[in-house]
Amino acid sequence: MRVELINIVKSFGALRAVDGISLTVGEGEFFTLLGPSGCGKTTLLRTLAGFYQPDEGTIRFGERVVNDIPAHRREIGMVFQNYALFPHLCVFDNIAYGLRARKIPKTEIADRIGRIIKSVQLEGLENRPPSKLSGGQQQRVALARALVISPQILLMDEPLSNLDAKLRLSMREEIRRIQKDLGITTIYVTHDQEEAMAVSDRIAILNRGRLEQVGAPREIYYRPESLFAAEFMGSSNIIEMDVKGYDQARSMVLAEAAGQSFSFSGPKPPGARVLLSVRPEWIRVVAGPADGEKNVFSGTVLSSAFLGSMVRYRVSGPGGKPMVIEVHDAEQENIRKDGETLWYKLPADRPLMIRD
Amino acid sequence: MRKPFQAWNIILIATLAILFFAVLYPLLYIFKASFISTDTGAFSLKSYATFFKYPYYLRCLGNSIFVSGLSTLLALALGIPFAFFLARYRIPGKNIIRTLGTLPLILPTFIGAEAWLLLLGRNGLFAKGLQGLGIEMPSIYGWKGIVLVFTLQFFPFVFLMVSSALNAIDRSLEEAATSLGSGKLRVFFTVTLPVVTPAILSGALVVFFLCIENFGVPVLIGEDFRVLSVQAYNEFISELGGNPAMAGALSMILLAITLGLTVFQKHWVERKNYTMTSLNPIEVKRLRPLPTFLIWLFCAGVVFVALFPFAVVMISSITKTHGPVMYFGQFSLENFIRAFTIAPRPIVNSFFLATTSTLIGIVFGIVVSYLLVRKKGAVSYLLDLLVMLPLAIAGTVQGIALAATYNKGIIVLTGTWMILVLAYFIRKAPYSIKTTSSLLQQIDPSIEEASISLGVPPVRSFIRVVLPIMLPGIIAGAIIMWVTTLAELSTTIVLYYGPWATMTVEIFQRIGSGDFGPASAYATILILSVLIPLFILNRVSGRDLASSL
Repeated sequence: MRVELINIVKSFGALRAVDGISLTVGEGEFFTLLGPSGCGKTTLLRTLAGFYQPDEGTIRFGERVVNDIPAHRREIGMVFQNYALFPHLCVFDNIAYGLRARKIPKTEIADRIGRIIKSVQLEGLENRPPSKLSGGQQQRVALARALVISPQILLMDEPLSNLDAKLRLSMREEIRRIQKDLGITTIYVTHDQEEAMAVSDRIAILNRGRLEQVGAPREIYYRPESLFAAEFMGSSNIIEMDVKGYDQARSMVLAEAAGQSFSFSGPKPPGARVLLSVRPEWIRVVAGPADGEKNVFSGTVLSSAFLGSMVRYRVSGPGGKPMVIEVHDAEQENIRKDGETLWYKLPADRPLMIRD
Repeated sequence: MRKPFQAWNIILIATLAILFFAVLYPLLYIFKASFISTDTGAFSLKSYATFFKYPYYLRCLGNSIFVSGLSTLLALALGIPFAFFLARYRIPGKNIIRTLGTLPLILPTFIGAEAWLLLLGRNGLFAKGLQGLGIEMPSIYGWKGIVLVFTLQFFPFVFLMVSSALNAIDRSLEEAATSLGSGKLRVFFTVTLPVVTPAILSGALVVFFLCIENFGVPVLIGEDFRVLSVQAYNEFISELGGNPAMAGALSMILLAITLGLTVFQKHWVERKNYTMTSLNPIEVKRLRPLPTFLIWLFCAGVVFVALFPFAVVMISSITKTHGPVMYFGQFSLENFIRAFTIAPRPIVNSFFLATTSTLIGIVFGIVVSYLLVRKKGAVSYLLDLLVMLPLAIAGTVQGIALAATYNKGIIVLTGTWMILVLAYFIRKAPYSIKTTSSLLQQIDPSIEEASISLGVPPVRSFIRVVLPIMLPGIIAGAIIMWVTTLAELSTTIVLYYGPWATMTVEIFQRIGSGDFGPASAYATILILSVLIPLFILNRVSGRDLASSL
């Protein structure tokens, strides 16, 4: 089912937690609301669930406006951050809770629970109380309970944040698999950008109750539109440069920072200064300023860390701000010591310009 | 979401109205009455002038403060070492000593007073025995007896508070002090003692409060030694020919003291408490045999002296009696037979009133807890204040206020059993609200939301999901309400009328007329009715007997 939000506003006192958000989530789409704590993502999700009444705006599920439909009649499945399992009910009764509220016949309940338990791999745990389950199992029960009522929309509020790192990886793959199998429209809240990229069809980045950018993971990663999006999605070096010229024929911008010049492809910048976002892994370490090679910068190594699959340097960058440079295939790399000079080359053919 | 919210608003207004009419209005009423001249009906400061002019009244105030202060000091002297020994040293029979050590605060104080009268009163067992040996015991009557009973019954509050503070200290705290070069004694005085000081202060305040508001002990054992609570009662009871303004003024003075103590406790002492999470509790040490024995002797001795009198009461109940004369050694079930056949009404009354007010209190407690925890708003502070206010009012004062207020006018409750139920559930509900609201606080609101999102409407979600989780706490709270209501004397004595005398009233009157046998029979029924449910609660839920008081 399609979900449409039109200009949603939700305030708590003077704080505008959600400040005019419009979005459309397509049928069967896995859509993630991503942002730091306090950005309004959970408020938006709870408004969708019906636990908050929006101050302004319209919410549509399919063609139907649901603003005035109370939470218990919205027919959504919801997975809570802390799972919210009923502690006094066993696994089976937890999952059956929504079905019993719908007065579904006993045999059908047993049948549907049998199937969902299989699909979330909880066989044999039907009679356990939640307190006797591991974190991952509790997570599966919460998911099964939300899905067994065959909701049109699944809402998930940071469902993996209480799990340890390894389990988080496997659970997110499983959630994605089940979601794809069922083809259920899913709105997922997280503050973890890697998790968001791993599971989502599209991501909306939220900041202070507003949308920063909406797009597919690759789109946001490779083409962040704002400073916030660039910094929040993965780590990024933000470099400010003066615009020195523009080559209309080759669509190349000529810019300069701290006496070092850099030319890169892109549209004509509107102002005299540009803000560039350069991913650490896009920067190449070179031996030195070879003749004729452009876009080579130098900096002093501030620190280096060997991380197995790569070496990460912090190097003094143009304009004084440290640059992070990641070098993969680290075995080949002769690790520079702190204080040594490092030469590196910025990529010229990537979309780098962002808005402030 | 709007409709159920409205429903909760209506419930909130109704709750506030009940609290206003049951708690606040009666207090305002006697406040006003204390300024109205009995003779002319005009505004007058005469009652207060009388209080401060006549040494008799001032002496009541002085007496109250004196016995309460002295009892508090003695309770600290018993409770602190008791807590410290049990927390730090290995003692034989420690668990049973700890459990028995908390019992006195559950047992009705006026039965404690009765017990000491049985032992050391004019016809007392020991008094006579010792007299036969030519030893003259100091009189139990007057302040000495009051202080004795208070100390023995209230020291467990100090013990409980100090031991929970001691148990919250992490081993590393004292180890840190040691590693910084402090010796054992220095560690105790510079680290351990300062850290538990807020708990000691809290305990002291609680004990002082309980002493000054107590009615049963001074009225039974004080004789000519008058304290405020007893004097207020006397002025009120002689109201027929008497002085409601003076009763009002005395109540107001007592109220000012109890309220002042409560505010002091809440806003000053409680904030001083250190919050610590003890990961590694301090090791329990094994001492050499002689010190171990001395420590054991102290702890076991205190428990024995505190509980022995209750055993005496129970033995007395099956002893042949003739008025105040007890024939110890000659057993007879006559007292019980008389209680059950000739005068069973007080037993029935007590159980009926306690059960009715507990049932009302349960519903009231759940509603108030829910409003306090889940519907936080501007008025929840007011609600919290009103609902907890009775805890800061002496039982006698509450009784006088209610009786005076609903004596005439549109709603007449004085002289009905309903006013007893009202007084009971208003006074005891705070205990259940404390347990249920702290439980509710631990239940994440998302559990209710999960139920709602699965298609169950809000109020039904509360009943289907939250209530079952809260049930153990509700039951525990109900048992506490029930047993404390059964043992209630100070409010009851003001509010009851003829046919609605309870067991507590019956015991009180029988002791007054020297009828110790039947008094002991009722007292025994009362003791068992209090202990058995608490024992079952303890067995079933593993809760500490006294943790909810």
